[in-house]
Amino acid sequence: MKAIEDFTLVGKTILRREDGYLMRGKAQFLDDLPEPKGLIHLAFVLSPYARADILSIDAGAAKALPGVIDVLTGKDFVDDIKLFAPVIEIGGYRPVRRPVVAVDRVNFVGEYVAVILAESPYVAQDALDLVEVSYDPLPSVAGIDEAAAPGAPVLHDHLGDNLIFKTAFETEGFADRFAEGDVVVEEEFRLGRVTGVMIEPRGCMACPDPIATNMTLWTPTQIPHIVRTAIADHLDIAESALRVVTPAVGGGFGTKAHVYPDELIVVALARRLGRAVKWVQDRREELLTNAHAREHVLKIRVAAKNDGEIRAVHLDVRTNCGAYPNHPYSPTLEATAAVRMMPGPYRIRNYKYDVSSVTTNTAPTGAYRGTGQPSAFLAIEGMMDRVGRRLGLDPADVRRRNTIRPEEFPYVNVVGVRYDTGSYLPSLERGLEMIGYDAFRAAQPEDRLVGGKYRGIGICNYTEVSGTGAPGWRVRGFAKMPGFDSSRVVVEPDGKVTVYVSQADAGQGHYTTFAQLAADRLGVDWADVMVVEGDTSKTPYGTGTFASRGSVVGGGTVIRCSEKVGVKVRRIAGYMLNADPERLVMKEGRVFDPASPDRGLTLREVAETAYSMNNLGLPQGEEHGLEATDYYDPPMVTMANGTHVVQVAVDPEDGKVEIERYVVVHDCGRVINPKIVEGQVHGATVQGIGEALMEEIVYDAEGQHLNANLLDYLLPTAMDVPDLELSHIETPSIDTVGGIKGAAEGGLTGAVPALANAVGDALAGLGVNITRVPLRPSYVFEQIRRARAAQEGRT
Amino acid sequence: MSTKKVTVRLKVNGKDYVRDVEPRYLLADFLRHELHLTGTHIGCEHGVCGACTVLINGKTGRSCLQFAAALDGAEITTVEGIAGDRPLHPVQEAFHEAHALQCGYCTPGFLMTTIEFLGQNPDPDRDEIRQALTNNMCRCTGYLNIIDAVEDAAKRLREGAREA
Amino acid sequence: MKPAAFDYHRPDSLEEACALLAEHGAEARVLAGGQSLVPLMNMRILSPAVLIDINRCRELSYLRREDGVIACGALTRQGEAETSDLVAAHLPLMAAAMPHVGVRANRNFGTVCGSLAHADPLAELPSVAAALEARFVIASSRGRREVDAGEFFVSALTNCIEPDEMLAEVRLPVAAANARSAFLEIANRAHGFAVAGVAALVEIDGEGRCTRARLSAMGAGDTTARLAPVEALIEGRRLDEGLIREAGAAATAAAEPAQDVHATADYRAHVIGTLVSRALRQMAGQPGGAA
Repeated sequence: MKAIEDFTLVGKTILRREDGYLMRGKAQFLDDLPEPKGLIHLAFVLSPYARADILSIDAGAAKALPGVIDVLTGKDFVDDIKLFAPVIEIGGYRPVRRPVVAVDRVNFVGEYVAVILAESPYVAQDALDLVEVSYDPLPSVAGIDEAAAPGAPVLHDHLGDNLIFKTAFETEGFADRFAEGDVVVEEEFRLGRVTGVMIEPRGCMACPDPIATNMTLWTPTQIPHIVRTAIADHLDIAESALRVVTPAVGGGFGTKAHVYPDELIVVALARRLGRAVKWVQDRREELLTNAHAREHVLKIRVAAKNDGEIRAVHLDVRTNCGAYPNHPYSPTLEATAAVRMMPGPYRIRNYKYDVSSVTTNTAPTGAYRGTGQPSAFLAIEGMMDRVGRRLGLDPADVRRRNTIRPEEFPYVNVVGVRYDTGSYLPSLERGLEMIGYDAFRAAQPEDRLVGGKYRGIGICNYTEVSGTGAPGWRVRGFAKMPGFDSSRVVVEPDGKVTVYVSQADAGQGHYTTFAQLAADRLGVDWADVMVVEGDTSKTPYGTGTFASRGSVVGGGTVIRCSEKVGVKVRRIAGYMLNADPERLVMKEGRVFDPASPDRGLTLREVAETAYSMNNLGLPQGEEHGLEATDYYDPPMVTMANGTHVVQVAVDPEDGKVEIERYVVVHDCGRVINPKIVEGQVHGATVQGIGEALMEEIVYDAEGQHLNANLLDYLLPTAMDVPDLELSHIETPSIDTVGGIKGAAEGGLTGAVPALANAVGDALAGLGVNITRVPLRPSYVFEQIRRARAAQEGRT
Repeated sequence: MSTKKVTVRLKVNGKDYVRDVEPRYLLADFLRHELHLTGTHIGCEHGVCGACTVLINGKTGRSCLQFAAALDGAEITTVEGIAGDRPLHPVQEAFHEAHALQCGYCTPGFLMTTIEFLGQNPDPDRDEIRQALTNNMCRCTGYLNIIDAVEDAAKRLREGAREA
Repeated sequence: MKPAAFDYHRPDSLEEACALLAEHGAEARVLAGGQSLVPLMNMRILSPAVLIDINRCRELSYLRREDGVIACGALTRQGEAETSDLVAAHLPLMAAAMPHVGVRANRNFGTVCGSLAHADPLAELPSVAAALEARFVIASSRGRREVDAGEFFVSALTNCIEPDEMLAEVRLPVAAANARSAFLEIANRAHGFAVAGVAALVEIDGEGRCTRARLSAMGAGDTTARLAPVEALIEGRRLDEGLIREAGAAATAAAEPAQDVHATADYRAHVIGTLVSRALRQMAGQPGGAA
């Protein structure tokens, strides 16, 4: 392995090669693909009830509609699709399996009840109106508290109650250490339910190969290999006979990193009918049925010394699984992320957690950008402020007191996660300096009221889990999550390079950054490197693009694989030049000894030898071809870090939160392409602003979904976004290949707690306690009004 | 009600098209599935997200809220018509250089909005740009690089106009 | 999410449109800009059997001044009103509200009358029309009738138009020389669907007294309606800070808002009070005269 300082292309902004065809409208997203002859369009009849028995389904009128090919119900799939479930092996998890189309019972609004097969999407929609389903509605339950209460309707009889997952952890002597605190501060935090809302909803198309018995599934997924394995498993198809391809993908954010029932259904139907089958999700279905996330309740108790030192933390996290466990993560994903990430950048040595998840009559929850981390940091960062307020300390000082210092790295945290390098304290200090923290505090009046608005500053100092390897998945029970990603790097006969990666881009810019990495290692022009991914028939197996894996694991394997090929290039070149391969370097498309740079070979000349396109022959024992394959299983996890510092003004007359300043300090280790990293930080931060201030999926108590459209589920617009003051620190990892750490999620993780804390700080003078997101005007106003009434009551 | 088709004539990106479609056929579907101009994307089909925005007689409109039949005789510009096979339009160049797109699904709509907006306001400030960009939603970029791109595109277009 | 099939008619005149309405009645819907109607059709909340597209009824596209009113035809786009000199000069309240109506792409096609006919109590234009004491000209083959906002807006998403009728024109009284106006709204994000709003118009005499007040709130109830108690409170009085606060409280007391996923009823009531106070404060500080 070469020292990372050797990188020449890495760290440079190269404008994306993807942009041209995207901006010309030439990219092919799922519904843009040419439609195969005889294509069948699907539509799903969705359950309007949160919980009901299906008494009968009359599809007669629908089937009679011209253009309708068939209408199928759950029973039509029981023989060819096994009950759907992830494989989770962790103590405290109790498996639940589901039919891909409901049989006899529905458990959430939006669950598939019947499938229309039609000649066109319009006719398919017409048929939906004609299917008559007779339901017997049953008592239902939507909320965490309600589902856990005695006497709650039980979703899955075999569980006996709704508790699908529960586990706990405690360090030795925890109770004694906790008792050492001078003060104990307690709080309960809640996060609303949100989801990815990619501008491209999902969809999928299965196409049987007319010649062979193969099947191709086009699906805009972040995890093509895992989708293939899951389908093969549930449909009894050989993995070798199923090809999963991702077209251009219109945003993923974790929401597209699941296996969904419809992916199994289109393949099963294409196999059964021998025809291509397509389903395109609409926005309503997207909000009703895609994996939701968050809806966490975190009860946290912190024991602190009078100087602000955190002695011990007890965190109790409760999550809402939804009606069924998502595939492949189950509800353990966000739950275990929240409790495992809580220690963050802090020296917390005494820790106890309890974590649980309940099933409810709501859509299954799963992965979404940040996974558990916005929750973890809402809790611990919220406590940093509260400990400060309790002890009369500046909240920044409480953080300083507990933050892991540069000289303590590498550091292994209380749950066994190694922090190899990091800039936890420098990042915090820079963020505070950039926003002018001390001056702000000095000028901030006791009541925080300036110009008729309450003004405050919120901080979130976070760590960001990225690039999880096999051990990181196993410890959380993901028995079938590979952890590695892989690549195949080929120097073609003309000296140009093709890189096949097991990843699946959804806008992250892999086609540029992976080319950058390979070009860097092989000493060629990045424009001469083509990247192929998102196709299980072309790339080796891998885990996929989610959980901030792309640059760490995908990038890592491309670096390693390119270097492997480089070794062979130098071996053959050494033979051709009669030189020591170890002395040869690859630069500007040539291979040469730096001592005699004029006497070198072009990569093409070496490739021609490797491909037997000249008469030079190969050295003894050398095989033809010029390529390598690499499987890279990264460390358990790699921690990036950063700090958000936000200044807000809260208008007491309308409850609106205005972001006045927004500072982000960001450290993702070795940066491959600065502009692309900046884009990840911007995007994640703004999703965080959305989650903190406006986004929320709302169910009523019975599980009726109240806002499955974009008029009622609010995404931030350009007017909601302040100019970010962004600063980078580059602290390369010493554990990962190339020193790379992930960059995709910290923005969201930082934003939610920072904004909550800023509003909390602004309203602290009033005695308002901000413990939940989203902080919509209606909610904030109510808190202010109550606090003011209480104050008036006292005076 | 009937599913009887009607004849629709549209000029799209300068080219005349005649197709028979049902009156209920949305312009977005017409462009994408009848004319195979799939650069116009569908995001919500209720007029909010702006992914399907095209220029209808020079004005941005949601192609998911327009019936193709009702537009008989109209001139439409889609993303494919901005630069055609020629080099990128200054607005596209500005988006490229500012890294104003990630997944690119919403981008065609943003390009349409930007072209209309800069035609009406050639020298906007950032607040005006933000206001104009409420026409469209993006979930990847956080908008900031798009705002930069529109600022830069305005400059490019002004300079281009001066040179011409 | 695709609309159901419908029979499509494209009349060239109001007369033809009315004839078609007479023929199809309750089965039919009028299509103008489609920005409210088509989303509902795509979601199949509405599936009219007949669509009468008035986009070729050129005679319905106008904004013109007629003795004391600006007459706005059924086909006049919101974007046209937004950039109209007539509106800017004579209907400053409407001009102030226009940027809040949807987004540019909606306003390019959505019509003023279409938004009024949609009768959404959370929409801007119905409130503006109510505050302006607009008259609604409803046409049918039976003739024409004119109603005021109180009659026109029946309840949420329901107007007084009979199945064979359509809204042909709205007549918006021009602002008096001593009129001042303000439009304010609150949403859960910087720009978007309002949680509440206020359209306000006052006339101030030489003594600084409010001689006429017309206020209407968005989100104050099941239908667009004026804030009569507020108007009664401030008419004849000077808009000092004490009265402005009192007016806000009166607006809060008068409001009977609904709760939904965006806001509690209680919040809406209070924020309407806040907006009324802000609007009055803004108008009290304005120079006299309407542009």
